[in-house]
Amino acid sequence: MNERNELHQGSEANPITYENVLADVGSMIRGVIGEDWAEEIPIEMETSFSKDLELESIEFVALAEQLKARFGKGVDFAGWLGSMELEQILQLRVGQLVEFIVRCNSEPATA
Amino acid sequence: MAETFVRGVKLHFQRVGVEGAPTKVVFLHGLVMDNLSSWYFTVANAVAAFADVVLYDLRGHGMSDRPASGYTADDMVLDLCGVLDATVGDAPVILVGNSYGAFLAVQFALRHPARVAGLVLVDGHLGDEDFGERMAGTLSLRGEEADRAIASSFQNWLGRHSARKATRLAALARALVGDTSLVRDLRATPPLAAEDFARITAPALALYGERSDLIERSAKLVGRMPRCTIHVFAGCTHSILWEATNEVRGHIVDFCRVAGHAEVQP
Repeated sequence: MNERNELHQGSEANPITYENVLADVGSMIRGVIGEDWAEEIPIEMETSFSKDLELESIEFVALAEQLKARFGKGVDFAGWLGSMELEQILQLRVGQLVEFIVRCNSEPATA
Repeated sequence: MAETFVRGVKLHFQRVGVEGAPTKVVFLHGLVMDNLSSWYFTVANAVAAFADVVLYDLRGHGMSDRPASGYTADDMVLDLCGVLDATVGDAPVILVGNSYGAFLAVQFALRHPARVAGLVLVDGHLGDEDFGERMAGTLSLRGEEADRAIASSFQNWLGRHSARKATRLAALARALVGDTSLVRDLRATPPLAAEDFARITAPALALYGERSDLIERSAKLVGRMPRCTIHVFAGCTHSILWEATNEVRGHIVDFCRVAGHAEVQP
């Protein structure tokens, strides 16, 4: 299996669209928070990880692991965060992650 | 979630980088208000570009179990052995520890010299004569003083915390300090002697904050290690990993590149 196939986790039933990825990411975030209050918070493109969801750093690690399992190794969440300044991470919105995932799945894989 | 059971305790670990690469690096975080995420988002990723990297949550921390007892240096070293057995096996590793993690790295190096290819000690608590007592004293603060101490240690890679998150983390810290033998076990931890450091022949890098309260005594102990280089970060406190992340990362990457190719000393 080449890199591109590994990346391409979409299927006819669940193609990689902004809407589908947002739904997937939303349920993953609720899962890693694992508390009742998380069920009540709407998770949308504009939702902030830090301000709205108050995600702890260890929860980001759990999320990174789930993203990799769901979307393939090409979705390097930790590497992506690592390329940002702290202020950018503090202002990170769910929509940016969704866009990142869609982009990872549409760009031709590099060798 | 990647996890391994060591003596019945579930330890959460993350493995990143080039699996099977000759350079193997294990990151060790600090006590109570810390977990593997501190390393995960600051330094580990850069090291993972060329090394086989393991990070894990110490018992009682992050996503590992919080057993009621078993927090002595011996217990922590056995946990580390278990994590190594489950990941990189017997291969010599570079241990990178922050604060208490540095103390643990030194403890491991004394017991298992053949398994250590190098040590990076980031503002290490290095077990001078009243180490256990002082550490326990900090952790067993009560009331306002405790809140202040916890708040000041809240700086992690996310920088600052909202009130609700702070409450949640403080509750976790209280459970670890209040419901386990951690403080008692630290008090009972025998200090490392100056002679112990002289026995550590692995290449080592010690990073300290100029304004850290550990710099005088701990840096003196580290200075006894025959192959240790010390670098002091001007203006920084104990939290150099947060205060000088880029520079700390640079030093660790350079060290791991060199030490990873060096032979382990007999």
